[in-house]
Amino acid sequence: MFHKPDSALIIVGHGSTVNPDSSAPTFDHAEVLLRQKAFGEVHCAFWKEEPSLRQVLHMVDSEDVYIVPNFISEGYFTRTIIPRELELDGPLTHRNGRTLKYCEPVGNHARMSELLLKRAAEVAPGVPTKECSLLIVGHGTNLNDNSAFAAKREVDRIRDMGLYGEVFNTYMEEAPLVSEWDAYTTCPNVIVVPFFIADGLHSYQDIPVLLGIEQDTGLAASQRDIFRLNPYHLRGRTLYYASAIGTEPLFSDLILDQAALFDTQHSTSHPTA
Amino acid sequence: MKRNLTQALEHWIAEGIRSIGQISITPQPEGGFELRHLEDAGRDDLTLHTSALDARGLSFFDDAKAYRPLKTAPTLRHGWRLQVQTAQELRIALDYFYPAMTALWQSQLAGELRPVALRETLNRQTGMYAATKRLQDEEGQQLVGRHCAATSCTKRIMWEFAPGQPLTELSEQKRWPAPEGTHAIPLICQEACNHLVPACREVVKKRERAAG
Ligand code: SF4
Repeated sequence: MFHKPDSALIIVGHGSTVNPDSSAPTFDHAEVLLRQKAFGEVHCAFWKEEPSLRQVLHMVDSEDVYIVPNFISEGYFTRTIIPRELELDGPLTHRNGRTLKYCEPVGNHARMSELLLKRAAEVAPGVPTKECSLLIVGHGTNLNDNSAFAAKREVDRIRDMGLYGEVFNTYMEEAPLVSEWDAYTTCPNVIVVPFFIADGLHSYQDIPVLLGIEQDTGLAASQRDIFRLNPYHLRGRTLYYASAIGTEPLFSDLILDQAALFDTQHSTSHPTA
Repeated sequence: MKRNLTQALEHWIAEGIRSIGQISITPQPEGGFELRHLEDAGRDDLTLHTSALDARGLSFFDDAKAYRPLKTAPTLRHGWRLQVQTAQELRIALDYFYPAMTALWQSQLAGELRPVALRETLNRQTGMYAATKRLQDEEGQQLVGRHCAATSCTKRIMWEFAPGQPLTELSEQKRWPAPEGTHAIPLICQEACNHLVPACREVVKKRERAAG
């Protein structure tokens, strides 16, 4: 078991200036890890919320600091924003007597497929998977963002396992479109899992509207009950809609693993002076 | 240079610190600390919380249940008190209510806080915020005066507009240093936040759109 009582963990999230849903899972995972006492200290830092990336290092007591981006993939944030704002030199930075270890984003973890399968099984309990189409919703292939690539990788892995009748990637603004789900799926049951780090406007509002299970009511995201009304019967199928994969409690294990992985990949325990 | 913010916090309170932002910090006779809204002093109808982690829920919404994206906005909700047993729990609670504020104060006392001029922050931006490099001095000064006004944010600003170029539109409450003898942990803005940077972008974009 990874146990670092003399080290600090910083989990970096995106955060939002408009709703509390974006940072909630990052804070949740931090609280789990704090209780587990795997690290001497656990802090969160955000691009759009406080503490900011510019403030967080002041909050740290320890000299040994692991930084894990709670992001679904490598991309603009993990490669440009986070290193810039934290003034990192690369995976390993020595500064002011501190060692800063910049770990891989959570979304890169090999167990991500397992979590997606767990989430799918939970949202549609007892439904025979062979009679299910599983849809993984990703952000589109926009600039500097590899989340679409990461979502494809997960779909390929899950498809290769042969558990589900069929498995597809789907996107909000490019083909295969979320809104056309009934056109390319063939199974009587359809499970939809958003491959996002947090529930927010996309998972509470945009995707449900595109799927046809929700009217655009304009209700605040956190006031919605969208996940508790499963299953939905429409377009001749039974549809199960899950909350964003990043809200899965096991994500905290993956965050811990990314820190452990850093040590395996960079033998940093005895940095040369 | 291993630090210990928990011990520092204990020390400050022993020396007489009794508040931070809108929150009073009261050491309890039987040990531990009680936090409540300064304006709730003397109220006996407050909802009692005993977990430091409850501070998260208490800090996220104002009295009207609106989301508070900036924790130093003077909109802390009323009606609660939070009792914690240890300085470690106090630290966790204060990190939710006023993220990084005790830490920045510790760094300031240690001479380790480097204020970053607004120009430096803006010149570092990439992507959609690179436009903020085109912010003009006059519109920028006006914006800071408006956007950072004490009615929106209670931090005191340490940074200059540009090196050697002070901010011109700040009220007394917004200026660093904080007056002495208040028994309060000061709230420090050592660098423009990620609310001000997008606001700078808006000002630039609006001017450029108007100019066609
Ligand atoms: S820049 Fe500083 S003073 Fe201005 S709103 Fe942001 S945190 Fe407050």
